[in-house]
Amino acid sequence: MNPLHTYAAIRNASPEGDLALLTAGHRGGAYERVIRSIWFLTAIFGVLCVFFILAFLLKDGLPLFSSVSPAEFLFGETWNPGGATPSYGTMPLWTGTILVTIGAMAIATPLGIASAVFISELASPRVRSVVKPVVELLAGIPSVVYGFFGLVFLTNALRLQFDIPSGETWLAGSILLAVMALPTIITVAEDAISAVPREYREGSMGLGANHWQTISRVIVPSALSGITAALILGMGRAVGETMAVLMVTGNAAVIPDPLYDVLSPVRTLTGTLGIEMGEVAIGSTHYHALFGVALLLLLITLAVNLAAMGIMGHIRRSQAGGNGPGRLSSLMQPHGRKIRTAGLLSLLLLAGAVFGPLAAVLLAVIVPAGWYAAARIPAAHAQRAAFSLMYAAIGLVVLAVAVILGDILIHGLPAISWEFLTGSPRNLGREGGIFPAIVGTLYLVAGAIAVALPVGMGAAIYLTEYTREGLATKIIRSGVDLLNGTPSIVFGLFGFSFLVLYLGFGVSLLAGQVTLSLMILPTIIRTTEEALRSVPDSLREGSLALGATRWQTIARVILPPAVPGIITGAILSIGRAAGETAPILFTAAIFSSRFLPDSVLEPVMALPYHLFILSTNVPGAQTNQYGTALVLVTLVVGIYLVAIAIRTHYQNKITW
Amino acid sequence: MVIPVEQTEPIITTRGLDLFYGETPALNQIDIDILRHRVTALIGPSGCGKSTLLRCFNRMNDLIPSCRVTGSVSYRGENIYAPDVDVVHLRKLIGMVFQRPNPFPKSIYDNVAYGPKVHGVRDKGALDTIVEESLKKAALWDEVKDRLHTPAMGLSGGQQQRLCIARTLAVGPEVILMDEPCSALDPIATAKIETLIEELREQYTVIIVTHSMQQAARVSDYTGFMYLGELIEFGKTEKIFETPDKELTSNYITGRFG
Repeated sequence: MNPLHTYAAIRNASPEGDLALLTAGHRGGAYERVIRSIWFLTAIFGVLCVFFILAFLLKDGLPLFSSVSPAEFLFGETWNPGGATPSYGTMPLWTGTILVTIGAMAIATPLGIASAVFISELASPRVRSVVKPVVELLAGIPSVVYGFFGLVFLTNALRLQFDIPSGETWLAGSILLAVMALPTIITVAEDAISAVPREYREGSMGLGANHWQTISRVIVPSALSGITAALILGMGRAVGETMAVLMVTGNAAVIPDPLYDVLSPVRTLTGTLGIEMGEVAIGSTHYHALFGVALLLLLITLAVNLAAMGIMGHIRRSQAGGNGPGRLSSLMQPHGRKIRTAGLLSLLLLAGAVFGPLAAVLLAVIVPAGWYAAARIPAAHAQRAAFSLMYAAIGLVVLAVAVILGDILIHGLPAISWEFLTGSPRNLGREGGIFPAIVGTLYLVAGAIAVALPVGMGAAIYLTEYTREGLATKIIRSGVDLLNGTPSIVFGLFGFSFLVLYLGFGVSLLAGQVTLSLMILPTIIRTTEEALRSVPDSLREGSLALGATRWQTIARVILPPAVPGIITGAILSIGRAAGETAPILFTAAIFSSRFLPDSVLEPVMALPYHLFILSTNVPGAQTNQYGTALVLVTLVVGIYLVAIAIRTHYQNKITW
Repeated sequence: MVIPVEQTEPIITTRGLDLFYGETPALNQIDIDILRHRVTALIGPSGCGKSTLLRCFNRMNDLIPSCRVTGSVSYRGENIYAPDVDVVHLRKLIGMVFQRPNPFPKSIYDNVAYGPKVHGVRDKGALDTIVEESLKKAALWDEVKDRLHTPAMGLSGGQQQRLCIARTLAVGPEVILMDEPCSALDPIATAKIETLIEELREQYTVIIVTHSMQQAARVSDYTGFMYLGELIEFGKTEKIFETPDKELTSNYITGRFG
């Protein structure tokens, strides 16, 4: 009896009769190739985007240098494009960006690292399950809401505290940016710390070191590369932020005098774009100068992000090699003393430059003295002191969330009414409702996700399932990473230059949707990649070994368990897109409209833009400002909560 | 060097097979003849290349970047490394069971029906028949027939491994490769799998990589002993275990190293 007869349905020919069995196959080979090509095209889309963004910034930026020399542009001390003799010196602008970023990092670095250590080392599982979502909540608040909060709360507090005419200052910008950079820093640093192998911890504890000694001498040094990457990523976020900075720094294009005057107003590169782009005459020198500013901004963020990518790459490689701590820290360890000295010296120089020689001298005395003293405090006391500082840090972070959300909730609730949610704005938004803005935001977001989800998923499938790591994937990944690090205002400029003007979409819903979709594309690619990677390779092998094709394996075995992860990523992107202002500032949004758009080629109202204009340009709209902020935060946070709920639901369910 | 064996009817034959991971050689000039309807065991210390050799037979090594193969592997007279070979089709004919059970996160029924479905069987009745027969052949039917539509992840390790065997059988292969199929199982589950291999021999050609010499001795007709990427000795299992020709083989068999 032929044992195979029941499988006649599968095997058309009996094996004995068909000698060309192996080459007889190739069924569906062409189909497989087509699918592969589609995913490949989606994957290089990201690279094309980076290329296009650069090309269009260059196209509109380079003509500037026919009338203004590069040296004048970079080092000129006056930015006054509107003056009788216009001048286009960006020095005050990039100084502003650097100063605000330094200030933010000075605040966020200690808070972020201490919070990360707290969450991964000190917090009980219950505390962690509360604190982590709180930190994620901080990441979910749209930047225009931060700006609004800064404007109505922080600047006032500063004005009263320091008795100055206006609280719109460098300090206000730095504090706000610090809060905004914190979630990035805490999350990435915490991941790095949690990834330190248990053996290191046990090894140190087993030698009789106490918890703090283990943390400070074993765990944090092992996680140093990851922590560094976290700080740089946080910095990238701070450099590229537009709306919040724009709303609280005062925007005077001056270099603070003296340089350390944190109560001076400043203007950043991003702020300049946000303020002037909307009013500039297209094709004028000023217009080209703004694209020059965008290029400069892009270069700075590129440098920052390349640094972070480099460090992350080291970590990944050294982890793949199983060498425990990242390469950076192992590189640094033999030179610990030298690096510490160099770090201290550069800090001194920086302090001297920014705060004057007195500060440098003070620092030169205090730091070594503190170092000396710290080494001689009994271990138990040191631990108590260090842990108290960590509790204080996490307390501050939680307090920040509570104050921001509390303020908006308390003042926003009275504004909420049926009319507010379903009516059109009247009297420049002081009265009436925000219905067109809510619907406009939903339109924008729906369009963005409809474009970005298929493209992003395709790219991720190509990257994880079809390729081996090589030059092509490297280029694609770098393109995606660069896209991810591009400031949202640069997307806005690109959308304006390419979609609105070049393709002739005009300021329209469609232009906004496409711009937003480019912005969320990297997030979707990354989360989909992660979701696909979390499916064990043994399932791929199992399916391929049964003679399934690549695409059959992906569609039937790999994708189904990855769907919750992909959905989570998509929802997070929706939340981000809903809260973004800068990309739609010049591409899609209008302020006051009684009507909904009839076609995708008409402009729309949007919640973040509405809030921005209400709080900066319409005096006496306090109630509706808070109301709009509350609706926006509720919408975005609500979307995030759905994502988090889906994630936890499936995390508990899937076990391999 | 061709090691002579009792020539009945070889189904898989390798000649001068070399395999490299990057620059590192992993297999060196392997010549082996796998006989139809026999169980062939590959034994040897860790890292000797036995799993690598096994994965050459259905080209699973293709999935490993930097892996390079020279020499020939013939299946029923055709070189499976020839450029026009359809690897997907090859894997249908030469199935594989892995070291750790790797059921898909689907129901028991869907796990077994997966292979036939991807090969184009749509008819529900045909699928039901294939699933039932495959599970029966894998000696799992009686244990799962009342819960075919529950998740496969709920089965015990030994049941999962027999499910993976059933899944492989459902595609209708001629050869079944088993890569240490019992190393993640307890002794009772192992015994069940071994009995199953006994039965499979009547209809299939089985090649099994195993760490356990007792297992090789119990289940196999032929045994190949590998060491440092070379096939040191190959022959009837009784011969390899009782009167091996090579000293290296007898040292390994008697537990002096490995």
